[in-house]
Amino acid sequence: MTGRAGFLTRAWRAGAARGTASLVGAALIGAGCLAWAAEPAAHRGWAGFALFLAIAGVAAGVLRLALAAVPVPEESYLVSMPLRAWLRFGEILRQVPWEEGALVAILWLEVLHRARPWHTAVLGAGLIAYLLTTHLAESDASVGALRPQARVLAIGAGLLALGAGAGMLPALTPGAGSALLRLLAAGALIVAAGLVLPHAAPRGVGAGSSGYTKGDAEPGASLERGGLRRGEPGGKIGQAGR
Amino acid sequence: MALMPNGPALDGPGHKLKLHWRSSRHARRLLTLGVAGVFIATLARRPEYAGVAAPALLLLAAGRVQRRPLRVTVRVRPSSGRAFEGESVAVDLLVEGHGDAYVRWTLHPGLVIDPVGGTTADGAQARFIISPERWGRRPIGTVDVVLRDRWRLAEGHATVTLPRLDCYPAPADQRTTVVLRRLPNRLGEHPARTSGEGIEFFGVREYVPGDRQRSINWPASTRRGRLQVNTFAAERSQDVVLLADATSDVGAPGSSALDLALRGVAAAARAYLDARDRVGVITYQWGGASWLVPGLGRRQVYRIIDSMLTSPVLANTVLANTVLANTGGYARGTSFRRLPRAALPPGALVVVFSPLIDQRFVEALRDMRERGFTMLVVDVLNAEPPDRRRSADRMARRIWRMEQEAIRFSLRELGVPVVHWDGVQSLDLPLAGHTRRPLAARR
Repeated sequence: MTGRAGFLTRAWRAGAARGTASLVGAALIGAGCLAWAAEPAAHRGWAGFALFLAIAGVAAGVLRLALAAVPVPEESYLVSMPLRAWLRFGEILRQVPWEEGALVAILWLEVLHRARPWHTAVLGAGLIAYLLTTHLAESDASVGALRPQARVLAIGAGLLALGAGAGMLPALTPGAGSALLRLLAAGALIVAAGLVLPHAAPRGVGAGSSGYTKGDAEPGASLERGGLRRGEPGGKIGQAGR
Repeated sequence: MALMPNGPALDGPGHKLKLHWRSSRHARRLLTLGVAGVFIATLARRPEYAGVAAPALLLLAAGRVQRRPLRVTVRVRPSSGRAFEGESVAVDLLVEGHGDAYVRWTLHPGLVIDPVGGTTADGAQARFIISPERWGRRPIGTVDVVLRDRWRLAEGHATVTLPRLDCYPAPADQRTTVVLRRLPNRLGEHPARTSGEGIEFFGVREYVPGDRQRSINWPASTRRGRLQVNTFAAERSQDVVLLADATSDVGAPGSSALDLALRGVAAAARAYLDARDRVGVITYQWGGASWLVPGLGRRQVYRIIDSMLTSPVLANTVLANTVLANTGGYARGTSFRRLPRAALPPGALVVVFSPLIDQRFVEALRDMRERGFTMLVVDVLNAEPPDRRRSADRMARRIWRMEQEAIRFSLRELGVPVVHWDGVQSLDLPLAGHTRRPLAARR
């Protein structure tokens, strides 16, 4: 790998673009889930409020991720009013669980429509992807960090498909009994999966299974950026540590 | 839990930290999705919502079976315990006993500690580069250690308190030195006004038996008809006492009068010690002065800066430094008469770094001058009262200026040269008028 390609690879591994990619991904997936659940527009059951809540939750969640790296001054007593207002805004942004609110609002928007199992299943997959991408963005990790969860996520996808299939099955006889039967079947599937899960999950994670790229844990990575070499700091004065 | 490491080596004994585990935001979000899906599935009797809840609940259930370490060992090693202002220091961190958990470090730098590069790092080992902005004994700050299990559903938190860093004032630039006209009879590098064994030409005299033949001045011998020999100036050293005025600290932080005084003292100490002079320091504050007797050698620079930083007048701490315990001390009183003879040797050159604001300090300078010390004052005042519109404020500003001019005039009348230094340019510039010729003490 030469020239520009090599540089781009190094920059990508160093995490310069990873945070931005995760952030953009979270924003796009969140907006996609929102649009998927809200279309077509419903006009009952507080649909407008749920839509507002979902938009606010997704937007504020993305804003929180984008502003996570902005440092907060230790001393906030003698700061100006605009700066104090900004600090207060940042504090609210960090403390309120925006994503949880967005999840509930999006599910509520989906509930307002008539039953459409395949549509709901796609939304469920999108919501899981939204949560995972949001977590990657806030922990500044790569997609590889989710590798240990891949098997469980695959089982979850199977259950999601089963749930959608159960929803699409025609009732044997019309009435509440058949619907309850389907619900019990889906619940039994979840319980069964929970029981077999300890056997399905991988026991240990080797050194190579870490999702972090090598640049993350390199102690000398920041050193190279600063142009510093070991033993250089304080060298004018004396030996390391008195 | 806080840690105060006392071992500089990463391979030394570590410090055990208790981890406080709690569910992560990711887990709370998954729980919200799972509970909401099951709730809707139950109420609306739609099994597809149970399918929506299934992946989230599966992930949560899988995360419950993980083992998490309750304690970890963290080792801390700063690359140096001392640094100049603006110099970079690396702090290495290592965590042990974390198992297969992911480790994330977040640095919270202390006051006037500037992080160079990022403040977060991942991995079992991390290195943070910091740079102190202002002199003093500074706590580097704290580092938050966050361990995440491999399902990223729980986070263990601990806090490490980083050790202190002795930040020395960055010395100003000074290469030339002021030399006294009368030097003590001690071997050194300054050409004295007596003949001796130096290398600088002093004069010509008639040859006497015992003179070396190589010192015969043949042109002069030819002209005078008798053998003449060259004589050379003796080389002497001088005692220099640097006097830092810590009575008032005016000006913007980072370029205040005290900042400039300490940087000037550090620069002067380096320059005079390079010229093989004996250099000591006195740090003056209201009610007393701490001192370090003049000494020789490169290490004296650091002793001088240490004495200023550990001085009770600056650090408000007891004198714990062993160097000071042997060769320094603290004297109460506003006069320098109480100082021991070793701290202020007779005939020493006294270089004063002061904003000349405190009247008692000026009186102490006058007293010292009347006792016969040769002095040179470097004025480090670069601030003025604020310029306001009110006539009373303008009048006060004018009176203040006149007072300052009067103080400097009175010192000059006593034979004490006063030069102004702005802290930006080299100290050689304001001292140029006194470094080109020996400084004479007028009686």
